[in-house]
Amino acid sequence: MGVESQRAIIEDLRDRIRRIERRPARREGFLPSGRPEVDALLPGGGFPRGALADLAGGPASGKTLLALAAIGSAVAEGGLGAFVDGRGELYPPAAQALGLDLDRLLVVRPGPRSRGGGNGGQEGLWAAEALLASGAFAAVAVDVPVRGLLPARLEAMLRRLAAAAEKGGAAGLWLGSPDLACRVPAAVRLEVIPGERGGVRVRRAPGLGAEGVRVTGAGHAA
Amino acid sequence: MPPDGAETLALPLPVGPPRAPRVLALSLPALSLQRALRSRPGAPPLAVVHEGRVVACAPAARAAGVRPGDSLTQARAACAGLAAVPLDPAADRAALRALAEALLALAPAVEIALPDALLLDASAAHLARGADPEDGGEAALAGRALAVAAEMGYRGRAAVASGKGPARALARHGGEPILRAAPGETARALAALPLSALELPPGMEERLAAVGLDGVGALARLAPESLAHRFGPEGAAAARLARGEDERPLVPYVPETLPEEAWDCDGAVESAEPLLFGAKRLADRVAARLAGRGLGATRLKLTLKLDPRGEERLLLPLARPTAAAALWLVLLRERLSGLRLPAAVTGLRLSAVEVAEAPPEQLSIGDRPEVARALEAVLSRLAARLGEGALFAAAPADRHRPEAAYRAGPFLKEKAAPVPRRRKNGAPIPTSTLTPALSRGEREAEARVRPTRLLSPPRPVVAEGEGGRLTALRLGGRAWPVAAMAGPERLAGEWWSEPFDRDYYRVRLEGLGDCWIYRDGADGRLYLHGLFD
Repeated sequence: MGVESQRAIIEDLRDRIRRIERRPARREGFLPSGRPEVDALLPGGGFPRGALADLAGGPASGKTLLALAAIGSAVAEGGLGAFVDGRGELYPPAAQALGLDLDRLLVVRPGPRSRGGGNGGQEGLWAAEALLASGAFAAVAVDVPVRGLLPARLEAMLRRLAAAAEKGGAAGLWLGSPDLACRVPAAVRLEVIPGERGGVRVRRAPGLGAEGVRVTGAGHAA
Repeated sequence: MPPDGAETLALPLPVGPPRAPRVLALSLPALSLQRALRSRPGAPPLAVVHEGRVVACAPAARAAGVRPGDSLTQARAACAGLAAVPLDPAADRAALRALAEALLALAPAVEIALPDALLLDASAAHLARGADPEDGGEAALAGRALAVAAEMGYRGRAAVASGKGPARALARHGGEPILRAAPGETARALAALPLSALELPPGMEERLAAVGLDGVGALARLAPESLAHRFGPEGAAAARLARGEDERPLVPYVPETLPEEAWDCDGAVESAEPLLFGAKRLADRVAARLAGRGLGATRLKLTLKLDPRGEERLLLPLARPTAAAALWLVLLRERLSGLRLPAAVTGLRLSAVEVAEAPPEQLSIGDRPEVARALEAVLSRLAARLGEGALFAAAPADRHRPEAAYRAGPFLKEKAAPVPRRRKNGAPIPTSTLTPALSRGEREAEARVRPTRLLSPPRPVVAEGEGGRLTALRLGGRAWPVAAMAGPERLAGEWWSEPFDRDYYRVRLEGLGDCWIYRDGADGRLYLHGLFD
């Protein structure tokens, strides 16, 4: 056996070992959003792993669609996704229509039977923190009602979420409203508004360079 | 006629079946004392008392001068703080049963040998992973059995030999933590033991001693016929036992009850730390017992005994059947640290109140074990705090009614193969007649126009129009101009239970986005049912 081919084999084995040892494998870097147009808008070409992304939009803006698409890309990579559904509104058939494997999407819906007395906000934030920090989920979308929380308290809880995402390496997707009373400690913020002819318009928040992009989703094609 | 030892040793060994099975005997010396000590913290001076006399005493009591055989009064005089525990054979039996359960993880069969031993089928020891070919894995099996016993709070001695009686005698009197008599060597190993090791019928030992037999070796050298002549069949049996010929099969123990373990606190405890310490012990023990049976808990109950009376019960649901004590502890810690108790705690009891067969592969995520463990832990934490119903994976259901188009199923749990429903005559019912199934194309087309959010219950909306044209929808005290509209899509059915008949429209409201609105055929009103968010 020639020295060259031996070297090539060793290099190949090293590469394989590196790949096996790279632990956690999907921790670093960015999670593709599942939409090339959105990826192009995001620094790094996706939602940052180990951090929060703020998807700010109204009740029918299309932010949930974006979050489901990102979870779909995490699942397509072999990861697991979670959706903390504090409002109890998520409609899974729409996720399925996006091609998301529903078996790998954990829906957490804190109900009135939970020990915290059914406060979808408090319990939802607690669940989100646990999921983000666990290291078991590649993407965690958080949709919880926060109206009853004082802004200072909410901001503290959001900081906890950001820290949990950093610990667990998950891409945290915060579904917020544009008029949230406090700052979201997010690495990136997208403003989502409904498009004029169907679809979604996404704008990266000022400060990071504002550009606009329009996304037309399967779930939103009129 | 004095027997000639050399001659009798030359007797042909029995050949062919039945042969003595390989048995691992685990002897638990002073079981009643060990049992009393394991549920108490520290090393209290303690004595087991029966009919006013000490039958066994803890090292602390022994150091103070208490000896087995002392009367209770003598013992109390020697050791002022002595705790006297009555001998409780029933509790000892229960302790043996609990340990047998845990040992089922190691051996295909475990027999309870009263009063203080357990016998394990060691015939499969060589099949264990990493079994030493030198001894067929028997010494390793014995080591593991002692480790399980230690985990459950007991010290013991183990011996592997051919036959139940010999193994037990060697464990009890062999004087070594682990003793192994290779096949064919059992008689030699037994020869050094005193006659009492054979646990002969009452009186037999004395009668044998009267004729000058002072040990098992001497007994083994006698021809069975001569013994039968003088001591009857019992004598012949004793000699066979002495030669290691014990073909009796094991009588396997089959556990019936769900495991439960208790622990008494060192006085009344008010802080979480000592409780966690006790809870860890209990979790280890209950988990070992479940694991021995191939079971996992799906629900645990921790009962806290309060001072002076009363109880506080905590129920812990688990995301999936598991016998991982470390995982239980994560949940127990969470519950205990957030607990406000009305009184101090004097004892703990942990029981597995609901169990299921633990799947060998816990999760089917095809991921690394550390991810599977992390997932296990977080799912169980969530289930414990939010309730099991709060976690699910959606599964599509073939139903036209939008709110019934999916159902909540278990997340990442192995799906059982669907069991076809059968008619009374046993013929399977074709699934298509159970629910009006949607065709694949139908389902896909339908899924394409479904909103990401569904409101429950649907909210009434009021239409505002001009000249028969819908111009705005009044929703939440505000009128939203209609920018575009598509539809209707008629969804109706379930006439046999709760009929519904709805015309769905996708309506784009300016400043809000796309909404899913339906006109209810029953009352003719409009409702907002979903949001294309």
